[in-house]
Amino acid sequence: MKVENLELPRVEGEARLELFWKDRLIEDARIRINSMRGIERVLVGRHYMDALVITPRVCGICGHAHLIASVRAIEDALGIKPTEKARLVRNITQSLEVLQNHVKWFYLFMMPDFILLEERLRGLYEPFRGERWHIAINMASKIAKGIALFSGQWPHSSYAIPGGITSEPFVKELTSLRQILLELKHFFLSYVVGMEEAEFVKCLKEGSWQKLNGDAGLFLELCHREGLLTLGSSYDRLISGGGLYAPCGYFMKRVVHGRLKVDQIEELNAPSYSGTKPVRYRGMPFETGPLARQLMSGNLMVKSMHKEFKDSFAVRVLARILEVWSIVEVIELWIERLKEVLQEKSTSLGRFPSKATGIGYGIVEAARGTLIHRLSVRNGTIQDYAIITPSQWNLGPRCENFLGVAEKAMVGLKSKLHAQMVLRSFDLCSVCTTH
Amino acid sequence: MRVFWLQRLTCCGNTHSFLNYESLHTLFKRFEFLYHPSLSLKAQEETVEELIKSGEGIDILIVEGAVRTDEVETRELCKIAKYVIAVGNCAVYGNIPALADETVCGLSYRFKERRGLLDKDFKSRGGMPVINLSGCPAHPEWIVGTMLMLAEGMEPELDQWGRPKVFYSSLTHWGCTRNEYFEWKVEAEELGSKRGCLFYHFGCRGPLSYSSCNTILWNEVSSKTRAGTPCFGCTEYDFPRLGLWETKQYAGIPAELPIGVSKRGYIMLSGIAKMFAPERLKGEG
Repeated sequence: MKVENLELPRVEGEARLELFWKDRLIEDARIRINSMRGIERVLVGRHYMDALVITPRVCGICGHAHLIASVRAIEDALGIKPTEKARLVRNITQSLEVLQNHVKWFYLFMMPDFILLEERLRGLYEPFRGERWHIAINMASKIAKGIALFSGQWPHSSYAIPGGITSEPFVKELTSLRQILLELKHFFLSYVVGMEEAEFVKCLKEGSWQKLNGDAGLFLELCHREGLLTLGSSYDRLISGGGLYAPCGYFMKRVVHGRLKVDQIEELNAPSYSGTKPVRYRGMPFETGPLARQLMSGNLMVKSMHKEFKDSFAVRVLARILEVWSIVEVIELWIERLKEVLQEKSTSLGRFPSKATGIGYGIVEAARGTLIHRLSVRNGTIQDYAIITPSQWNLGPRCENFLGVAEKAMVGLKSKLHAQMVLRSFDLCSVCTTH
Repeated sequence: MRVFWLQRLTCCGNTHSFLNYESLHTLFKRFEFLYHPSLSLKAQEETVEELIKSGEGIDILIVEGAVRTDEVETRELCKIAKYVIAVGNCAVYGNIPALADETVCGLSYRFKERRGLLDKDFKSRGGMPVINLSGCPAHPEWIVGTMLMLAEGMEPELDQWGRPKVFYSSLTHWGCTRNEYFEWKVEAEELGSKRGCLFYHFGCRGPLSYSSCNTILWNEVSSKTRAGTPCFGCTEYDFPRLGLWETKQYAGIPAELPIGVSKRGYIMLSGIAKMFAPERLKGEG
């Protein structure tokens, strides 16, 4: 058996991929991510408020999701509720973070792979030079500016506090945000799907993904040619903690809505090759992320594609691209509600209790899927802090009974480029995996 | 100029901060990026191999993330670079990863001790020590600004921590929209408001940290203190301190006073300031 050990370019952080070949097919695949930073350990013994500064540093691209997970875990432990205004603003900034992630991921991480198959795509997607590459990066930084309007900066803000937020946004921030969303819609329609709004909305309702133009259309065409419409499937079991625009629940042969039972979520011991602990729900591996959310929310385009190709590479990618539109729509709803409560206080507490005791969970839908923080506080001091990241669900290793989700998706592939692409379709983030 | 971006133990926050730079389009015309782990088509091993074979050096090596004390390859890359920039607090001081692991440090420092990966008298090929851009993360303008100075042949003057004075000679306090509240000692009693100074109750390190966060704004629009969040001093070696949201006090006086201010001066001035503070600064307004 031939074993190949690959270094992966264009991932968040460091990762290696080990492929085991037999008869020109990938028989087994292992993802090696081994750079622990020990963030959970650093938190123990500190005041719980410090978590709001330290957990965002788990990840430079989804740090805001960690902030929101932290503040929710603290609020849960202390029995505090944020004001409606703060709740909406947090929803907005966290969703914006997901949006900038998706734009960067598709254009900077995913599409450049196709250059290796089609030289003519260089003009569009080549790193540092491509036309679309630059338009996308510019768009992503404008979205980040939208977060900073409320949170002071992005990356690494700590503006969410128990009971609310530290900033006092008003009309000016809302109108500036509205402009950014308009620009994003323009970007999405002109480049990503290449359609007028009315036409796109019609396609969405019909579920006719075949009609997509723009870069999504080009992507599907390339997938068709490469056979990637059907490749890269995993267990076709998907899970969503509920958030952004999607309800919680899971998909296992059919969609089941309902809250996740946290006591059924289990972190197992890492096998020797991996620094990451596998996560299971009811003892089984589940994929989390945009595809799960789109199925939970019933996006018709994703549903019809999923019906045909299950959880394949192309479906996973398309779900993530189309999610940009789903999120923009829900942010617009939140802005309307926010207008009504703009006079409310930014926080229900003002000052945080210095001595508090309790155990709490914070569950957030981050760009890559369900993120869970659990903390235990005694007299204001953190006794224990545990983080389960979306990348642990998707990229985590095997356990005794099952391969990891991404590992399984690579088995049976015929080329190492395909294996890398399939792995990248999970939006690989090794820094989150090895907090 | 040829740039090589290396990542070690990192959250990639400095990369995403850098990607917020307004005019990357023109930047990438001026600087050839030989390698960036999040962006390049090729993998690092392949690029390094080609680089060594070609015998051509690197003009700017940017290191993001904390390192281990025994890293050979990082040390080798530092040797062939004309200039070395440590970007972000992990690469400069070790930061959070160094809190969790004794064998982790920055390029020159481990927190305040001169116990980094490189020798104390390290000079890159261009004759400069490591240029440190502290901050968690560093601001894109600090990163790009430093690169541009090097490209113009104007080597930046550095402070005692190896940081370019142009970005780190003033306090975060400079340009803070709450300065008038600080002056008249009108303290924020609660979080969640545009008004009041965060120094007295909420641990704000603005008058104790060197950065240009309030003169070169974040994402061109804001900063922590403008968004009502205290400065946590993330450009200094002791970030993240214990009890980030609280100001330690002795007998009603902050345990640490603004840099250069005497205890006697602080007590006298704050007494007078409080007495004469304008009404418009008090209350909800």
